[in-house]
Amino acid sequence: MWKKASSVLLATTMLSGLLAACSGGESPKTTDTGSSAAPAPSGPAGKATVQFWHSLGGKNGEYLDAMIKRFNASQDKVEVVGTFQGSYDETVTKLQQAVAAKTGPDISMLERAYIQMFADSDVLEDMTPFLKKSNMSQDDLTPGLMGHSVFDKKLVSLPFNRSTPILHVNKTMLDEKGLAVPKTWEELKTVANALVIKENNEFKRYGYSMPYDTWYPIAMISQAKGKFFNDQGTSIGFDSALGTKVFKFLKDQQNTGALYYPPQQDSGNIVNQMFISGKIGLMYQSTGVIGSLKDNVKFDYVTSFLPMDAVYATPTGGANLSLMAGSKNKDAAWEFLRWAMIDPQGGLQFILDSGYLPFTKKMVESQQIKDLWAKEPNRKVAYDQLQYAVDTNKHVAWPQVMQEFFKAIQAIMYDNKAIEPTLDTFKKEAERLLKG
Amino acid sequence: MDKKRIWEAVRPYVMILPAMTGIVLFVLYPVAYLIKLSFYKYNLMNKDKSKFIGTDNYTQIFSREDFYTALLNTVVYTIGVVVLTLVLSLIIAVWLNKRKRFNAIVQAGIFTPHIISIVSVALVWMWLMEPNHGLLNFLLKTFGLPGSTWLQNSSTAMISIIIVSVWQNIGYYTLIIVAALQSIPPSIYEAAALDNASKFQVFRKITLPLISPQLFFILIIMTIGSFKVFDTVKIMTGGGPNGATTTLVYYIYEFRTNSIGYASATGVVLMAIIALLTVVYFRVLSKKVHYQ
Repeated sequence: MWKKASSVLLATTMLSGLLAACSGGESPKTTDTGSSAAPAPSGPAGKATVQFWHSLGGKNGEYLDAMIKRFNASQDKVEVVGTFQGSYDETVTKLQQAVAAKTGPDISMLERAYIQMFADSDVLEDMTPFLKKSNMSQDDLTPGLMGHSVFDKKLVSLPFNRSTPILHVNKTMLDEKGLAVPKTWEELKTVANALVIKENNEFKRYGYSMPYDTWYPIAMISQAKGKFFNDQGTSIGFDSALGTKVFKFLKDQQNTGALYYPPQQDSGNIVNQMFISGKIGLMYQSTGVIGSLKDNVKFDYVTSFLPMDAVYATPTGGANLSLMAGSKNKDAAWEFLRWAMIDPQGGLQFILDSGYLPFTKKMVESQQIKDLWAKEPNRKVAYDQLQYAVDTNKHVAWPQVMQEFFKAIQAIMYDNKAIEPTLDTFKKEAERLLKG
Repeated sequence: MDKKRIWEAVRPYVMILPAMTGIVLFVLYPVAYLIKLSFYKYNLMNKDKSKFIGTDNYTQIFSREDFYTALLNTVVYTIGVVVLTLVLSLIIAVWLNKRKRFNAIVQAGIFTPHIISIVSVALVWMWLMEPNHGLLNFLLKTFGLPGSTWLQNSSTAMISIIIVSVWQNIGYYTLIIVAALQSIPPSIYEAAALDNASKFQVFRKITLPLISPQLFFILIIMTIGSFKVFDTVKIMTGGGPNGATTTLVYYIYEFRTNSIGYASATGVVLMAIIALLTVVYFRVLSKKVHYQ
């Protein structure tokens, strides 16, 4: 028994030695730097390695990888290693565990709504001194996107892949009916109801739709001049009348078929598909889908501001980049962040590739962005809408409150529960969470 | 001599040491840690910000409506799955018990769902249950029946999930019952036939008691398994709509990032419930089980 085990052990060791030799032979380049073993955080001869966790898969992931490659090629002091960690939520879970185990990355992408939670645990580095050292200031960044960047007067994250919801319009369908793109809720109601086609008690076509998300109700709450949280952060910032107005607006139209409210699972893809196949004429959806819609639709496709009630307003979305306080390579990591912000080959190229919003003023003024907007005015609409950007759902307890808000949305939109009592319950739960 | 006696006394402990090390490290320690966490408002990333709050988490659990909803959902799911699976697999097993070539094929077919990953199963069923272009509603409409909303309505979502779980489970438990049926000595049936016993009497007085150990095993395994259901819920409904399919484990999972203390406390409660159920089963039911 023991003999057998030891021989297996021996064989394994030999085999792994062999494998190591093979891999060494295949990539002579890595041995140049003199670190054939695991890359040390910063060897005297080697480069400083910066771990970068992100949540961009698919095409956007490729664009990000290309950006990292450009950075690594541009200088010889820092090597950034980008790792895809799954969706925003998965990245958050992994990051929490990694920080606890002290194996976290140097830089991480964080969905904006989670930033406060991390900042509250003091695990995000204040980047103000770094910004100062590089002769930059917060004013260089796009103001509409800074809503989640500052916590306790500390600059804890920088905007990166940011988006907003906008109204996607099937212009061809509207033109057939002689309808104009709606600018207000009332117009939206009229247009959407006019688009409905009903045959044998079944809807063949709806007016508009939106993914199952808190984003859109929050947008509508701020359009009706409400705030999601009050200024003291002790309760929600919209009264029962305002909340009822928002949800009644949605509910009434859901009942007439003007609004199709999709099922919870995979709702984003479902509404995109319906928009592409002409089953809805209008869609509330992120700016992030402009690129893929443009390639897939066979009709005249335009974008427009979200319709207003009392005012134009939109929340923002997407993710920021944060420097982790536990990083041992902060200077090297900052070098990458700085490069991404100012170098035309950095963030600017990534924005051009992916279609996210330009996050510095320099980018907005750059010739490349101007050319892009001239060619694709749909993208410019999203940036222009930023002047109305307002994020009122900022609170350390937001992720918990969000869960409760989702429950309220489900109860109202799926189960036809009475709006007012549902919102009252939500308010009570929210206040309990905000107190803790 | 003395040495030998010491060794004799110590030997059993030495022998179970490897297994016990594993159990202590991977079962007992985590359970103890879970209980500890349940008394904290825990901050995973910055331990200095964790706060000992005594039994507050437990007070919160028992005063929150959504916990009771989750508990009720779990009970409904468990009863649904256990009863349906048990009854259906018993019927199928009795039918399959006649040794025919055709039956072997059916048995293999019924067993297949069990070897397919639950993720694939759930995704395919989601597609079948799609209300507008799904196959199930298409079939219902062909026969002139009204379609169902399946997963997209809180009144039908739970039964839809139960159907999927039962469909996946049935083959495995049928197999166990068929094996049990075939281990019953034919001589007993012959004796019953001589006494002119009716088919129903034979089933109730002979078959059921003789396979009761296996049925008891299935009952316990399935109840515990159903209480811990997670994968189908996560993939097919995400606990919705409106919490209609939020089971206890999914409820715990929802709190994983932002309220670790509360999630741990709920975990402890779940553990207690399952322990209680198991004890009750053994106390009450084991007396009715006939061991040969």
